[in-house]
Parts: sequence; C-alpha cells; structure tokens
Amino acid sequence: MTAGGNGHGPGPVAWIGILAATCLLLAALNHILWLVVPALMALVLSYALYPPMQRLMYAGLPRARAAALVTTVFLVVLVAAALVLMAWAGARAEDWQSGVERYLQGGALLLERTLSAAEARWPIIARAHVAESVTTWLNEFSATVVERHVQPLLVSLIAWLPAALLGPFLAFFILRDGRRFHGFIARAVPNAYFERTLALLHDMHGTGRAYFTGLIKLAALDTVALGAGLWVLGLPGAWVLAFLAAILAWVPYIGSIAGCLLVVLVAATDFPNDPAMAYWAVALFLLVRALDDFVFLPATVGRSLNLHPLVSVLMLFVGGAMAGVPGLALVLPILGVATVVGAALSAILTDRRLRARHGHALRLRAAAASADLA
Amino acid sequence: MLGFLRTTPDRRLEELKRLVLFAALSARELQIVQGVLHEREYLPGEVIFDQGEAGNALYIVRTGRVLICRQGHPEQPIAEHEAGSFFGELALLDSGPRAAQARAVETSRVAVLFGSDFLSLLESESHLGNRILLQLARHLGRRLRGTLTGRSEGMP
Repeated sequence: MTAGGNGHGPGPVAWIGILAATCLLLAALNHILWLVVPALMALVLSYALYPPMQRLMYAGLPRARAAALVTTVFLVVLVAAALVLMAWAGARAEDWQSGVERYLQGGALLLERTLSAAEARWPIIARAHVAESVTTWLNEFSATVVERHVQPLLVSLIAWLPAALLGPFLAFFILRDGRRFHGFIARAVPNAYFERTLALLHDMHGTGRAYFTGLIKLAALDTVALGAGLWVLGLPGAWVLAFLAAILAWVPYIGSIAGCLLVVLVAATDFPNDPAMAYWAVALFLLVRALDDFVFLPATVGRSLNLHPLVSVLMLFVGGAMAGVPGLALVLPILGVATVVGAALSAILTDRRLRARHGHALRLRAAAASADLA
Repeated sequence: MLGFLRTTPDRRLEELKRLVLFAALSARELQIVQGVLHEREYLPGEVIFDQGEAGNALYIVRTGRVLICRQGHPEQPIAEHEAGSFFGELALLDSGPRAAQARAVETSRVAVLFGSDFLSLLESESHLGNRILLQLARHLGRRLRGTLTGRSEGMP
C-alpha cells in the first residue's frame, strides 16, 4: 500500500489521526449499518463482476452495455438460485426446527462423551462434576435455542433483505459510472494538488480492489481445501459446509469458531457412534486454518493491506468493542483505507512546494478576478 | 432539438482527433479516451508541474500556451506548446521524475490523461491502448531522431 507521497511513512501525528478516524468511523458504523452493508456488498460484487465485464469490453461491447449485461445475468442467476432454495427449504420447513435441535444434541453428546472420558482419566475434573454441569446447561440451551436465538436471527436476516437487494443495484452503477465518479471527485481538487491527489485515489482504489478480491480468493481457497478434506472424511454436504465455514471466516476470530462448531456438530450428529470423525473434522479444520493463516492469507488479503500485525490485532479488539461483529469484520478494511488517505494527506499537506504553488495560484486568481476593479 | 448540447463534446473529439497520439482512433474510441480525460484551467504564470516531481500524467493543450523550462529559469524556455500539442508523455510509461518544469504562458485549458487510466485502457480496450502506444512510440522515436540530428522537439 503506497500513499503516493515522498517515500516516508506517515508520522506519529498522522498515525494518531488515522487511528482516531478509524475509531470515529467505527462509532458511526452502528448507525449507518443499513447503508454500509449494501455498499460493501456492491463493492465486493463489482470486483467479482469486473473480470467478465472486462471480457465483454475486450469483445467490443461498450462499458455501459457490458455492465448492464453482467449485472442482469448475475440477478437472473441469483433469483433462480433463491427460487430453488426457497422451494427446497419450504419442502423441509418442518425439519428445520428438529434439525437444529438434533445437531445441537449431537454436539452435546460428543461433548458429554469427551468430558466423561476426561473425568475417567483425571480425577480432579471428576470431582468438579464438569461433565454433569456442562451437559445440564447444554440440554437447557438446546431446548430453547430455536425459540430464543434461531428464530430472531432468521427474522433479522429477512429484515435485511431489502438492504441486500440494494447491493446489485449499486454494483451496476459502480461498474458503469465508476470512472465518471472518479472525474467528479477530481474536479474539486485545486490544480497544485491535482496530480498527487489522483495518484492517491488510484492507490485507494487499488487497495480496496486488492483487499476484497483477496477475500473472494481466500474464500475460494478455503472452500476447496476444507471441502476436499471433509469429502475425503466422508462427511455429508462437505462442499456446502466448507463454503459456509469459508464465508464465516470473513469475520475474524468469531467466524472461525462458528465455522469449526458447524463442522463438528454435523460430524458428531451424522456419525453418533464414531466420535473419531468429529475429532478428525476438528483436526482438519485446524490444519486448514493454519494453511489459511500462513499460506493463503499472506498470498491474498495480507499483501493488500500491509498493516503491522500488532496494529491489526489491537484494532480488531477496538472494532469488536465499538461495533460488535460488523466492527470485527470491517475494522481492517476501514483501517486500510484510513491509512492510505492519512498517509497521502499527510504527504500532500506537509509538502511546502505544493502549498506554495497553491498559494501562488490563489493569488493569480484573485488578481485576475480584481484586474478591472482598480 | 437539444443538439446544441453536443457541440462542446464533438469539438473536443475533433481536437483529440487532430493530436498525433489519437490520430488513428475511431469516433467511438475517441469518446472512450475523452471519458478518462480530466479538464483543468491554468492562469498565466501558474505552475502545471515541477522539475523532479513524480510524473503521473500526460497533458494535452486545448487552448493557450504552455512553457517548458528548467526549474526557476522560465526566461530560458526549452519548448513551448500551443493548442493541439501535448507534453509529459513519458508519464504514460513510468512514474519517473519530470525532466523540466511546465507553466502556463497564457490562460490555458489542458486535458490530462493519467498513466493509471491509460494502463486501465490498455487492459479493458486493448485495441485502442495499442494504437495510442504505437503512436507514442513513433512520437518518441521522432524526438530521439531529432535529438540525435540536433533538432530539439518538446520536452519533457
């Protein structure tokens, strides 16, 4: 990530400004989530749809028509997939409630067996009655989980549907008019800062594209690695589970834990008499996470943001504390953009030559405007 | 009925067509190029770019005159560009430092083509980008030949 500046990174004052701006944006995030989520969806979608649109433009189609065509095809596929999913889900509506409870009970059974085995080996755990307490709590939890957690979650997801539909609509305009918007912003910049600012906009666009394209690639790599492993283990719905876990992994920490739980619950329930299957699934999940952290992530998303690991981890905590799960998911891209903007603004505003040129241009304009007034 | 609204863009396309760089482009391709250009206006004496500054863009003079000189020596011009000519073309190839300063001699309107936009054009509209690139190579070749034979052409 470059700032188009003088080659030096931002100074301490600029860094304080960058971190403060990130915190302010996080504080605002909860209030404008209805807009941020579809806007981000549109951004990710525009990056995903840009390669086929580019191919159409290579074939000679004008930009506007290429944008309209790829967005329409995407919408048709989306609507078709939604109809198939609704028909499939509708036929199994009665199974959903019992299904969630069945998978939770499968997980509880695995946990109970594991803790009982641990109690048999280590008396200190047996004296604490860990297995009994955990099993009682899990039984109570699984009995009410659908009513207390799953139903409100589904209702909130349905409430998000109109905002989600805004995503493809916005993506079409990003694809079609992105360049015009770029020009519109550039017109507001004074002559002296013009070249440097345009270089900054180009960097911001590059950073955003690298980050979100990296996320898409990362999800694809995670899906292939985990899906292949689960398929070899013989788990039903291996590729769907792997895809869900890969998407959940976009939320740092919490997403990975949720993805792992999902895989373990399915393994424990579908193979109730073979607890080794669940342990293999956990081992596989940990292996894929390690691959993700040390191979896939640096090769995709990591290179795009180029943030110091300590800053990244601290800001993840700040993001989670200030804006919950959306804060956790969005703090790194927000910090990445704030860093590029802060570094470039710092480089532009502290450049004495550019300031002098801008001052000179203002004096010339003032003199030209008042030439006939003397 | 609203044909008068198209007067300015058409004139701009004609101006672009007269430039060596865009001479081989079709009307549709010229419109694409026009879409990525930024229009700026400079007053007499205003600096467009400094010598040593990272070059990010090519400048096309629409109206007015632009002086190319060593930094701080406007009285010793290296070249002067009038409407229909361009300067700073090396920025389309790399972001190296500018070899000289550019400043407006009279009120000048310039169109700016950014190197990054040109690279995007090369990716998305490769036929168009290659034609510009070929014209740019020919232009640079002419300048090199002129330098070798002692006849200087516009810098930088």
